[in-house]
Amino acid sequence: MDERALQRIFVILDKQEKEQLETLCRILSDLFFYVELTSNLYIVAEDLAAGMPQVERIQKQVTSFLRENLFARLYVHFIHGAPQGNTEQMDFYFQYYYQNWKRVTMEFDREAYMHQEVPRLMLLPLIAPSSHTNTASLADLLGTLKSAFLLPSLYLDWGTFHQAANEKLLAKAEKVYYGPGNNSEKSAIVCSLCHENIIHETSSRLDAHPASMTEPCPAALIITASDGMVYPCADAFVRKKSLANIYAAPHVDTLMAQYNGYFDSGTDCQACRDRVVAAFSDLPLPKGATHELSDLLYHFGTLHQEAQNHVLAAERYEKSLKLSPAEEAVPIHFRLGLSYLNTGRYDQGLESFGKAKAMYQDQYYFHFYTGLCYFEKGDYGMALERFLEALDMDPQQDDLVRILIYLGTCCNGLGDYEQAIVQLERAKHEAGQVKEIYNALGFSYFQLKDYDKAIENLKVAVELDPYSAIDYASLGANYRERGDMDMAAAMYERALKLDPDLAVARENLERLRDYHG
Amino acid sequence: MNVLLIEINPFAPVSPPISLGYIAAFLKSKGFGVKILTLGEDASISPAGLQKLITSFRPALVGFSAYQRTMLYVIGLARFIKSIDSGIKVAIGGPQATFMPSDGFAQLPDIDYVSRSAGEQTLLCVARAVEQGRPFSGLSGVSYKNDGGIVQDTEELEGFSDLDQYPSPYLSDVFDYSRMGEAIMLTSRGCPHHCIYCYTPCAFKHKVMFHSIDRVLEEMTWIRKKGVKRFWFADPNISHKRSRIEELLDGIVKLDLEAQMWLQTRADLVDLEMMKKMKRAGVRTIAFGLESASERVTPKIDKHLSIQKVVEAIRLAQSQDIEVELFTMFGLPNETFEDAMKTLAFVKENNVKIMGNTNSQQMQIYFGTPMARHYKDYHIRPLNTERPPYISIGCQYETDHMSTEDIGKVQNLWRAHSLDRGRRIVS
Repeated sequence: MDERALQRIFVILDKQEKEQLETLCRILSDLFFYVELTSNLYIVAEDLAAGMPQVERIQKQVTSFLRENLFARLYVHFIHGAPQGNTEQMDFYFQYYYQNWKRVTMEFDREAYMHQEVPRLMLLPLIAPSSHTNTASLADLLGTLKSAFLLPSLYLDWGTFHQAANEKLLAKAEKVYYGPGNNSEKSAIVCSLCHENIIHETSSRLDAHPASMTEPCPAALIITASDGMVYPCADAFVRKKSLANIYAAPHVDTLMAQYNGYFDSGTDCQACRDRVVAAFSDLPLPKGATHELSDLLYHFGTLHQEAQNHVLAAERYEKSLKLSPAEEAVPIHFRLGLSYLNTGRYDQGLESFGKAKAMYQDQYYFHFYTGLCYFEKGDYGMALERFLEALDMDPQQDDLVRILIYLGTCCNGLGDYEQAIVQLERAKHEAGQVKEIYNALGFSYFQLKDYDKAIENLKVAVELDPYSAIDYASLGANYRERGDMDMAAAMYERALKLDPDLAVARENLERLRDYHG
Repeated sequence: MNVLLIEINPFAPVSPPISLGYIAAFLKSKGFGVKILTLGEDASISPAGLQKLITSFRPALVGFSAYQRTMLYVIGLARFIKSIDSGIKVAIGGPQATFMPSDGFAQLPDIDYVSRSAGEQTLLCVARAVEQGRPFSGLSGVSYKNDGGIVQDTEELEGFSDLDQYPSPYLSDVFDYSRMGEAIMLTSRGCPHHCIYCYTPCAFKHKVMFHSIDRVLEEMTWIRKKGVKRFWFADPNISHKRSRIEELLDGIVKLDLEAQMWLQTRADLVDLEMMKKMKRAGVRTIAFGLESASERVTPKIDKHLSIQKVVEAIRLAQSQDIEVELFTMFGLPNETFEDAMKTLAFVKENNVKIMGNTNSQQMQIYFGTPMARHYKDYHIRPLNTERPPYISIGCQYETDHMSTEDIGKVQNLWRAHSLDRGRRIVS
């Protein structure tokens, strides 16, 4: 594949040695040559005080890169826990840490002003509060940061979702990120940020190029400073499948070649997108985000359905339904009905089809699938009604034959063999070479004691499927009733040869031998 | 010899750079190898990728489209390209270049030429000079720097008045159709009017030049065959000639192109019959320039268009179920805060959705416009006196009637009423 420019680099800081920090900075500096013209650097630290000196060191590399490359833009996101304390203490944090951080960007702010442009270097704090964080003080801190153009965002997880109820806090956050977990663990934050990006990008693909889901997600690297490992994507990070170790002194050109090679080695990016979307859908997200997820879940449901994985399809549709606005739910109900039908959950299928009726009742296939649910439940009367309704709506040729066969089979089930023959003969007329038609006709004629006709049809059935043991057994029954015991025995023997476990053939053959020696 | 043409705007999605497309097709027809590089917000290229492109394509000349907002990036890329190969010549053209003052050009060390005339002929002239190894000899249509770094201007170069003489960028296949969602069309160039804030009439000396309708339809048919359905007509006034727009719309219907079109024109250049034809041909959206809805302001901008005419044009379009966009500005000469509010109220009263191009913006004062030349006469006070001379006043001004705070307030009010947080498509 083509060489990919990195959109995002994530660095998870730890208490690394000074030497390791220098190596990290050197690698980052070299990696900047491979980032997109507008890119993002996420630096994740345990807390503000411990992380800031390292961030300032990394920032030197950033400013140096941007000074050299006037066409490049970099957003630096510093992710850390919320400082604890009251408003005065928060203010101290701002004065002591953020103000100093901001100072280095002044040359870029001036450059932007002179060129009437947005600054090429943006510092964006991303604060992950804990359940003990004082919400009012945090809101004050966000307000102060915002007024200094350090546009702050929040990261909320299960332990802190309740903070989203505070409108004052949310109003001051530039953006709110959501993630699973409940202790703002650094690797969980990185995964969530990656995943959120994957979701947005997948959503854009769905609008523009839905067939391109197998392509890799936006290019990103994750570096864990504690051990120097580099991961090519969130999925590899979760599975601990690293590309290289920066402390083993690799050359960045080699690292990037390995990176590009990774996506040529059969990564299942579509499955990863699907997993990410499904996992995110369990979070208590705001309304705008859930709509996007609902569309994605529906899309992945259809992909699972096409791949005949109806269990997963049903799971995706169920989740999609939970997040979908009511006015867009009907197609999801219909698809869910299909998945239930294909997984043997006929009552649930009928319930889902019922909710899709208003939109689909003019479609013959709607009645056909509803009929199938009843048929599989053994309710041939209801099934017959639905199939007849489908038949009246001018179905496509292939489906017409299927509907006629099911109609014939329903009539057989209800004991109306004459009517079964009418439907099945029509099916034969429409498409002669379908085994099921002859099999069902054989049954109908047998029941009406027209053994010659039954044998005639069953012979065609075994011509079409020479391995059908049950049709040979049926032939045996018809020959027996006609009095041709040798042929009957031969047919039962043939059936048993194909399927030694076919009890009906074995029992009839034994009875025949007992009776006639 | 190879020529690389670059358009960069990190804040806009990639769309076919039509002006560069024309230049590329023209140079290609004269035997040059040409590549267009569009660097938008969704362009996936790194400095390493750029370096690879430069070293593999080996252009002898690189041309940039330059706009006020992209100057910094153009400067940065020019420096980067020269750092790879200092022998590569770099030219800039487009709105920021045509009327850029010489002292501005003098402060651009990595730019060798500034195009002042028709892009196609000018860049051909430069390309031929570079190819012959005498990059600063026999030039026309450009400014360049001599050995002492002194800016030298050359004679103007006339472009073709019959636009069909330029090869079509679409029919020459200079664009990549694989991810093209929308084709940008330019069926005419120039504008005869005298609006004081606008670059176009000055750049084209108040003349209008046209493509034949046959050529436009041939292009559209080709683009449709390539699978692109949406067309965005960049002509300043597509209905400048009534017979011509009718011929175009009839042709589109006759060819059954099933196109979806966006176009713009003056509100006094439409009527009901034309709107019906537009609707039939597939026009989804029409944009009119209102600028201001205050009777105190409109006479000062020399647009010579009554507000009532705009109301009528909106009604006509809406009667045909064509979406309307209105271009408006604030911070205009003589405009007070209350005047600016009238414009916002006008847009809402006339049921025009405040989104996309209808998001208002502060008037920008660009090089070459009457406003830039005579800003003092319009009671404009530039705020940044230290700006580099290759950057025009732009939006860094206040007026006798509106302070920076007032302008900021108007901007925030528009944003508050916007359906898409104020994201404008055309600047």
